[in-house]
Formats: sequence, C-alpha cells, structure tokens
Amino acid sequence: MNTVVDITGLRKTFGRVTALDGLDLSVAAGEVHGFLGPNGAGKSTTIRILLGLMRSSGGSATIFGRDPWTDAVALHRRIAYVPGDVSLWPGLSGGEAIDLITRLRGGAGDRKAYADRRAHLSEVFQFDPTKKGRTYSKGNRQKVALIAALATPADLYIFDEPTSGLDPLMEAVFRDEVAAVLGAGATVLLSSHILSEVEHLCDRVSIIRAGRTVETGTLAELRHLTRTEVSFASAGQEASAFAGIPGAYDLVVDGARVKFTADSDALAPVLEALAARNVGGLTINPPSLEELFLRHYHDDIATDAATAAAAGTDAGARR
Amino acid sequence: MSGLGTLLRQRFRRDRIQLLVWVLGFAALASVGHSAVSQSYGTPKDRAGVIVLLEQTPSVLVLRGTPQGTQSDAFQFMLLFAFLGVLIGLMATFLAVRHTRGDEEQGRAELIESTPAGRITPLVATALEGVIAVAVIALVNTGGFLLYGADAGGAVLAGLALASVGGCFLGIGLLAAQVMRTSRGANGLAAALVAAAYMVRGIGDATGTVDVDDPLSMTAGWVSWLSPIGWGQRTSPFSDPTVWPALLGLALGAIAFAGALALRTSRDIDSSIIGERAGRAHARPSLAGPIALVWRQLRNPTIGWLVAAVLFGLLVGSLSETLTGNAPADVKQNLGDTVGSIAGPNAHGDLVDLFIVAMFSMIGAIAAVCAVQSVARARQDEANGTAEIVLSTAVSRIRWFVAYLVIAVASTVLVVGVAVLGAIAGASGAGAPSGTVTTITSAALAQLPAVFLLLALVALVFAIVPRLTIGLGWTLLLLAIFIGQFGGLFGLPEWARDLSPFSHTPIVTEANADWGSAWLMLGLAVVVAAASVLLVRRRDVALGG
Repeated sequence: MNTVVDITGLRKTFGRVTALDGLDLSVAAGEVHGFLGPNGAGKSTTIRILLGLMRSSGGSATIFGRDPWTDAVALHRRIAYVPGDVSLWPGLSGGEAIDLITRLRGGAGDRKAYADRRAHLSEVFQFDPTKKGRTYSKGNRQKVALIAALATPADLYIFDEPTSGLDPLMEAVFRDEVAAVLGAGATVLLSSHILSEVEHLCDRVSIIRAGRTVETGTLAELRHLTRTEVSFASAGQEASAFAGIPGAYDLVVDGARVKFTADSDALAPVLEALAARNVGGLTINPPSLEELFLRHYHDDIATDAATAAAAGTDAGARR
Repeated sequence: MSGLGTLLRQRFRRDRIQLLVWVLGFAALASVGHSAVSQSYGTPKDRAGVIVLLEQTPSVLVLRGTPQGTQSDAFQFMLLFAFLGVLIGLMATFLAVRHTRGDEEQGRAELIESTPAGRITPLVATALEGVIAVAVIALVNTGGFLLYGADAGGAVLAGLALASVGGCFLGIGLLAAQVMRTSRGANGLAAALVAAAYMVRGIGDATGTVDVDDPLSMTAGWVSWLSPIGWGQRTSPFSDPTVWPALLGLALGAIAFAGALALRTSRDIDSSIIGERAGRAHARPSLAGPIALVWRQLRNPTIGWLVAAVLFGLLVGSLSETLTGNAPADVKQNLGDTVGSIAGPNAHGDLVDLFIVAMFSMIGAIAAVCAVQSVARARQDEANGTAEIVLSTAVSRIRWFVAYLVIAVASTVLVVGVAVLGAIAGASGAGAPSGTVTTITSAALAQLPAVFLLLALVALVFAIVPRLTIGLGWTLLLLAIFIGQFGGLFGLPEWARDLSPFSHTPIVTEANADWGSAWLMLGLAVVVAAASVLLVRRRDVALGG
C-alpha cells in the first residue's frame, strides 16, 4: 500500500521549548488514521508542519512523497484541512467563506456538483450560510470549515479535532460524511482526544505524548495490549472457588458479581473454564481506547495529582 | 448595585493605558494650541488679519468655528474647540460601546450578568467610568487655559463646554450600543453621529453672519443649534460667557442614558433594536483570490479615507486662490513662514505653491495610513488564524503577503489620485491659473516615494518580528509624519528631521526641485519590500500572542 503521509524523527523547537521530539507517523493510502494525544502533545504542530505553515527543525516529513514546505501549493490542491479552532473573517457570511475557501483551493471544478454538494452538506449539518462570521458560535464556525473541506473532492483530508463544539447528532453526521469520502478513495488523518470518535472511524491509530509517538497500530493490535473485563454472577460462592480459571487476573467478588480481567487474545481457555462451571449473567467488555489512553498517561495524571495534593498541603500548612 | 465598585475598578484597569493616552493627548493639544497661537499669531493685529481672511472663507469656517474677536484665548477656542469636541465625542462613544455591546459580543457580559451584578449595574459602571474620564479631560482643558493665564471663569466654562460634548456622546454611545447588534455597528453609528455633529455645526458656522457692532466677531447660523458641538461653541467662554448651551448637551446625554437603561432593562441579552443584516448565502464570483479577500476586508475604511482625500483636495484647491486675496501683507508673510515650514526643510517659493505642497503632505499622511493599515491587517489575519486557512489552500506564502502589499500600494495611489482630482476641481472652480494644476500634480507625486518607503519598512517589521507589527507599525507612521511635517514647526534639529522619509520628499515649489532623493527612496522601498516578502516566505506562520 502507498504511504500518503510519512514522518520520521520529526523535531520542532520554539526557542528553548521542544514541541516535537522525534515523532514518527505513517498514514497509508485509503485509511483513516487516528492521531491521538492530550492537549499540548504536539498534534497541531505536526499538522502545521504537514501543511507547510511551519518548518521542521529536524527529521523528515513528506506528503505524497513531497516536501510540504517547498511544495506547499501543489500539495494543497490535493488536501482539505479543518483547523481545530476555526476563525472566520468577521465581515464575510458563512456562505461566502465556504465559497472563498473552495476557490482558493483551486476552484470548484464541476460547478453543478459543487453546488449540489454544498447544499447537501448545509442541510445535513443544519447550517445557515447567511449569518456574518462574527456572529457564529464555535460549532457553527467548525461547520463552515467542515463544509468547505467536504464540498470538493480531495485526496487527503486533515482534520484537527474536527468535532469539538459539535453536538453528538452533528458528530454522527460528520462520521457519515467521512465514510462517504472514504468510499471515493480518500485518505484521512484525524487528530483527536475524543476516543469514541477515533474508535468509530479509524483503521489505525498513533498515540503521541510530549512530541513522541508512543504507540501505533491497528485498533485490534492495540487492543491486544489491554485486557478484557469479564464478570458473572457469583451465586454466593467465595473467591477461592474460582481459583482454577486459567489466565484470570485480579479476580474479586464484588457483592453478587465476580469480576476479573484476562488477556484479550487468550480468552478461549477462560471461556471453556467458565462454561464448565456453568456460570450465569456473563458479560465480557472489550477494552476501550479510553483504557489504552489512560495507560499511557496514567503516570502523568498520578504525578499531577500528587503535585496538586502536595501544593494543597503546603497551602494548608501556611494557613 | 451589587459589585458596582468592582466593575468600575475593572473598567479603569482595562482602560488605564488608553485613558492615559487620551488625557495626555488632550494636555498636549492644549499646549500645542497655545504655542501655535502665540507663535504664529502673537499680536492682536496678526489675529485680526487672519480673522478677516477667515470671514471671507466659509470653507475654513466649516473646519474651525466662528471668530469671536481677537482676544488670544477666544482665538484659540475658535481654532480648536470643534476639533476637541470630535475627539472627546469619539473617546466617549468608544468607551461606552467597548464595555457594553463589546463585552456582550465577546460573551463576557453573559458571565458578569449571571452574577448578582445583573443587567443594569455593568451599564451604570460604564456610564460612571465615562463621566469620570470626560470630567478629567475637561479639567485638563481648563487647566491648560489657566496655566497660560486665561481668565478663570472662561477657562472653567471652556472645560464645561467640552464636558457637555463628551457627556452628550457618552449617552449617545450607550444608547447606540443597545440599538445595534455588534460593537462595530454601534461604534459606526455613534461615530457617524459625532461626524454629523461636526458637519452640522460647520454648516452653521459657514452660514454665520459678521456682527454689526464688532466686525471681527461672527454669529453662527441657526443650523449649529442642531449640534452638541455647536452648543459647546455657543458658550463662547472668552468673549460672551453663556452657561446654558452647555447644559443642553448634558441633558441630551442624560436622556440618551435613560433610554439605554430602559432598553437594557427590557431586552434579552444578545438582542438589539436593529438586527444584524443577513449576509449573502453565496460569494460573488469576484471574491476568488487573496487580493480580492484583502480588498474586501479593507474596503470600508479605505473608502472612508478616499472620501476624506477628495474633500481635503477640494478644500486645498479652492483655498489656494483665497490666499492671494486681500489679506494684509504681513499676515501673508506670517502664514508663508508657517506653511513653508510644513512644506519642507528650508522650503521657499510662491505662497500658493507652498500652501499646496504643505497641504499635500497631509494627503501623504492619509495615504501612509492606508498603507500601514494593510500590513496591520496581514498581522491581524495571521494572529487570529484566518491566514492559516488561506495558507492551507493552494495559495503560497508569497502570493498571500504580496496581496496585502498590492492593496497597500493601490489604495495609496488612489488616495493621492482622488486628492489631485479634488484639488484640480477646487482650483478651477476658484479660477486658479493653469500652472496650479502642475503644482498640484507634482506635489502629489512627490509624496509617493516616502509613503512607499514607510510601507516597505513596516512590511519588514512584519517579516522579522511579526508580533510587533501593529504597535511598531503605527508608531513608525506617527513619528514619520510628526517629524517630517511638524519637525520644523517645533524646531527639531536637522539630524532628527532627516530620520523621517517625509523630510526627503522633493519640494516642488523650487525651480529645480531635487528628485534624486525621491528616486533613491523609491529604489530603497522596492528593495526593502522584496526582502520582506522573501523573509515572510522563509518564516513560520506566527500565531497570536
């Protein structure tokens, strides 16, 4: 498969601050690639380098095999981009902004097709194009950029937290529209910290933290790194009664339920053991990306909490 | 009125620099006004000469006011009051809108109004801040007169007259903020009313009649009774002190404030009496590239400057001939010295030609404002993120930035061009000799190189230190204009005057005017502008902060 976005060892420094510290990312043609990380991890900086808005301080980044800094214009004809925080021109209406962005990208091509597509998107996103830019809410500004990006075909779509500010109904509309452009053979790079969005849409995911890629792979591959949660009715038995279940970790009896976790790729012996015991009320929950995510940032969260607690103690002592 | 004190402090905290600049500005104007009068028109005889000239020239009465005798303070009041009225009016309306509709538009008002402060207290706090600001400026005005030994009663009344204009427009600004949906709309409406007040009293003054018993005094026409600035003028503090016209302004301001309170009490947040006009659902075919986009954003202010340039050109053209009229010779000599020092270092020549050159240096200043505003727009677009959208499309950084320079150069040339047309029309209307047309055209052309050099320097600032573009850009512009055009008037040393591009503008009144410096500035401008474009090409897009 062709590689559309290829980043290796990418570095970016702003004065003494290191924003990207050897980031790797590879997006194959035709896939939806999730680009996950907490705020400040370097997602937007990476995207700005991919768009030639910023210059890398080291490493390499290419799109369609070309350098985004020197070949920006030629590349941008094939790319549609939706920024994380959309600003609009205060005096232009939303409709004017959509038409303008489309023309700046290189024109609508087939006018009729563009007009139909724009009308369709305005309808499904429930967007009023006649209001002035300064009066739109965050969600509506986001819709302007989304409609402009989706109204003409592109080979690569780059979405930077595209649904922040949209309600769940609109998120579903967004997912449908992305599915439609994928059907046409496009590639999508989707940065997000909303995990459900990534789980719904993405084939592969790269998780970044502090400017580095810490994990990358298909959702199935990553799932394999976390454990599945199994629970069933205890029927009044003690924990010791379940000691013989192979591959069960952290087994506890919590009131009427027995809970444990098991490696996701080693569930078969577990299920056999459970079948032999004829357990009732069995539930098996696949690992969510939430857990995957927490596992990578758990250290940070724990450290932050400890720091906050220490600060609180200090304040208390002073008082 | 829960939180009134807190909100008032917050307003002063937010405006502290701005208000300080306004107050210092008014103090500087009081001082400059006094020294200009005492230096240029030091004796009653000088002043009498100018007054005779003014009484024959309605187009200057429109700009200044009706003469009230030769007493020096009355003369200064006549020259400056209408102008000061416009300034305090704008100060008050911008302040009023900033803390009301401006906060509402940004969503801050919602946050404040959800506290016990409610809907009304923030409005009262804004009014109170405005009243204090207007009072301080009025005191500065009074203090300025007192410092130079004016009659105490007159000085206090002059301050009151200014306060009445400020108070009146404070109320009108607060009302406009309730009526319009956006702060831009409210500022536009209120500023238009300030401008209308100035123009209406101008018509009143121009249609005034010379007093029978005192031929060096005039009474303004009835029209000026329709203008708050006209009311302030009619207090005539140093010739015929009358308090009650000033009270009219304060009363109108109070009524407008009551109206604003009533509207705010009854309306929803984010609503307005006049709604925002709906925009077009589809863009016109012409809105298709970076140049069209920059023009679309700068169109309204540029049209404003073009109108100003045409009117100013007309005025200059029509005035040029009156100067040769029947004013006393020593007055002309005096005027010639003043005008000559504005025209350029060691400028000499025919009075009319000097006058045209001096006035066209003002047109150069307007053109330079247009040029700087365009580069400032580039920085605003870069900082707020709209540039990122444009640059992520098939528009290169060079094409993006050159669009702002193209609009800057085009609007500069247009401003100078329409001023030339206005001046030629005005001059031919006044029956000027054909040679005047040549003077006008070459005086106008001579302005361009300095403007272009300034534009290129501001572009270079944008390329190297983008965050300083707006602050440093406007500062460079003001310094260049001030040093270049008033450096002589204020007796700055030659090396300091040489720092401004405007000091190197050719003086076309001289038989063999030296255009070498103009070509040099033009060449330098092209080189610096090209360098700035290449540097913009090489740097990261710098977001706001």
